[in-house]
Amino acid sequence: MNEVAIKDLLYKMADDQLIIGHRNSEWNGLGPLLEEDIAFCSMAQDKIGQSLAFYTILNDMGESDPDTIAFTRNANQFHNCQLVELPIGEYDFSLVRHFLFDTSEYLRFDALAQSTHTPIAEVSAKIKGEIQYHVMHANTWIKQLGTATDEAIERMQKAINVAFPYALGIFEESKYEGDLITDKVFIGEHILRERWIEAIDKVIATTELVIPDLAAEEAHLGGRYGEHTEHLQPLLTEMTEVLSIDPRAEW
Amino acid sequence: MYGGGNTFEKLKTKSIKEENPEKLAEFEARIARGEKIEPSDWMPDLYRKQLIRMIEQHAHSEIIGALPEGTWVTRAPGFKRKLALMAKVQDEVGHGQLLYSAAETLGKSRESMIEDLISGKSKYSNIFNYPAFTWADSCFISWLVDAGAIVNQLANAKGSYGPYCRALDRICIEESFHLKYGHHCVIHLATGTPKQREMMQEALNRWWPPMMHFFGPSDKISAHTEILMKWKVKMDTNDNMRNQFLDMYVPKIWELGLTIPDPNLKKNEETRRWEYTEPDWEEFKRVINGDGPCNKERLAVRAMAEERGRWVRRALLNPKSKYVTPLA
Amino acid sequence: MTSLDPRLNRVDIYKYQQELQPKDSMDQFETYEVFLQTKESKPYQHEGIVHAPNRDMAFLFAKEQFSRRGTCTGLSVVRTEHIMVSPMTDNDENVYDLVSVEPEKNTKKETYEVFYLFKRGKHMQHQGSVSAVGFHDAYIQAGATYNTGKTVLNVWVIRHDDMLFNTEDERVIWSTLSEKKFRDAIAYKALDKIKKFKEEQLASK
Repeated sequence: MNEVAIKDLLYKMADDQLIIGHRNSEWNGLGPLLEEDIAFCSMAQDKIGQSLAFYTILNDMGESDPDTIAFTRNANQFHNCQLVELPIGEYDFSLVRHFLFDTSEYLRFDALAQSTHTPIAEVSAKIKGEIQYHVMHANTWIKQLGTATDEAIERMQKAINVAFPYALGIFEESKYEGDLITDKVFIGEHILRERWIEAIDKVIATTELVIPDLAAEEAHLGGRYGEHTEHLQPLLTEMTEVLSIDPRAEW
Repeated sequence: MYGGGNTFEKLKTKSIKEENPEKLAEFEARIARGEKIEPSDWMPDLYRKQLIRMIEQHAHSEIIGALPEGTWVTRAPGFKRKLALMAKVQDEVGHGQLLYSAAETLGKSRESMIEDLISGKSKYSNIFNYPAFTWADSCFISWLVDAGAIVNQLANAKGSYGPYCRALDRICIEESFHLKYGHHCVIHLATGTPKQREMMQEALNRWWPPMMHFFGPSDKISAHTEILMKWKVKMDTNDNMRNQFLDMYVPKIWELGLTIPDPNLKKNEETRRWEYTEPDWEEFKRVINGDGPCNKERLAVRAMAEERGRWVRRALLNPKSKYVTPLA
Repeated sequence: MTSLDPRLNRVDIYKYQQELQPKDSMDQFETYEVFLQTKESKPYQHEGIVHAPNRDMAFLFAKEQFSRRGTCTGLSVVRTEHIMVSPMTDNDENVYDLVSVEPEKNTKKETYEVFYLFKRGKHMQHQGSVSAVGFHDAYIQAGATYNTGKTVLNVWVIRHDDMLFNTEDERVIWSTLSEKKFRDAIAYKALDKIKKFKEEQLASK
């Protein structure tokens, strides 16, 4: 098995989850309804916990320990897609991002549960239940807001229009895509994207919302290899503010 | 048999003298026997009013209490702290929800409780009107403010009102990790690098005076609370709970090599009570009435959260729905 | 004015306070009562409420508010107004001795879930399901089957179809609960650190 390819896969998945978990934690205590605040925070914790599981596999493969990997890299060393680093915006944007991203996660880990790389397969199988709830939550909100008031529909549509091209960046192919597919580590981003389009179309079809025309959209790529928006570095600077006071101390 | 519940909209609270004496006697006998009062039981207006006020204040304290620690949630150092602090802040919101629910069984709607918080009409624990300047401040809050809250909660869990006790049971279970987490954080700072120790000591110096205010004014200047203690609404005096807190936690603070900014703080071995410099109760009054460092921001943040989320709630509102008082 | 919380500096928090409007009367929605089963061998028990715009949302909310810790094998939510409640009796009196009802005259049988309270301060506990033609009929039938020993202080009767339960497949959403060690008190041991610190303090004296 191509270890470099596998580490590439692990880094991008873990970075995605860490960054989106971090973003979603910004709603902690500030949500639109107490119960939803609680639910959204649980999902953010799940994502961060999942990123920790993948950083742990990386550590087992010879990379640094999770705290070091996560808290001491700069923006151009991160492999998350640009979608997850965007600011939280209003609740419409955060929900739309949650829907688009978590649907891809569900399908990704459903596929990876069959991976020939055992540690990845095991983690993927284990987190299935968490992601099932995340998708249940996202689908319910999209379906309900997408058929609610004019204001809700307009807001959600605007959010989809902004988020969609960034969401396409989730499926930016790896340099090692061929090896990953050949070694049956992963089905590959191309197939994943197809399954994702089908899944989001199914949910959106039950609403007054529309998915932008795929042919007309230009995906925001680059995140997988260190090209990020102006939002990532400030996020990382904030996230690492306390640890940076003394990275070698025990906090 | 009835379905659908009912709400209690009372304009005037009866005084104890105006209550039916037989019913009052039965009610007080039930409490004296150690039995819980449940929502559908007869209860004097004053009991209902005081309980709503107390439970509501407790709920607001949790919701506002999520804000000083929330200040540091995006900056927690490392995975363990990040996950734990997120879970802790989440629990605070969750506890607020549980407590509002308990107060609702007494007949006040959650809408009016939230409005009373934002308008400044209802109070919350004064300690949250102070700023969390550093990571060490958040650690102080997580350990010692939570410790104070737990002293309160454990006492109140033995109170007379069923829904409040059930909420507190659940809260106490979830709190068990909060205290350990907070203590763990403070231990790491106090026994860490010189910079970490200094940060922790400075935070402690700043938070100690508000912590001494935490259990409320000293008994000698407090309003009379005999009826509330008889009805097991208030379970212990402010000074007793303050003393219990000092007894449990001052030794733990000292064993970490931290100093407490009160030269008079010591345990009187004869009376077994802690002696300390009398806190500034004028300052307490000033801050709780709006003139503290963070009062404005705390309420503005809650107003923001509500207003920003209004479109979401409006979108899902079903015009045919009607409110029914929760059952238990 | 800048806040100590970086999240708040990204929003104009004071602007919202100026735009504050009074709340719509159902701004916080209706309430749904939540029932939880922590182990397959244990009965469902009432835990509290969630505010939600509909039953599907209520389920999502209840899952995180009431089962984000511990163990869970089953969760159910039902609108508060769908629960039929008996009066609450005093401690030595069994509600069945005080409250007798006439069964309805319908013929259509439905499943009803029945909950009893045995002690003030405790939680309503599921006794079982009955097939009945109405709430009163269900109350009577439940009494025949489940009122067998302990004094029943209070009865709740709920139409099964008014309750939303998780499916068997959905149980997987609770599968990783026990792994979240960061919320266990046991993950925060620090006695060694304190001990080491004390030893260092003594040594330096």
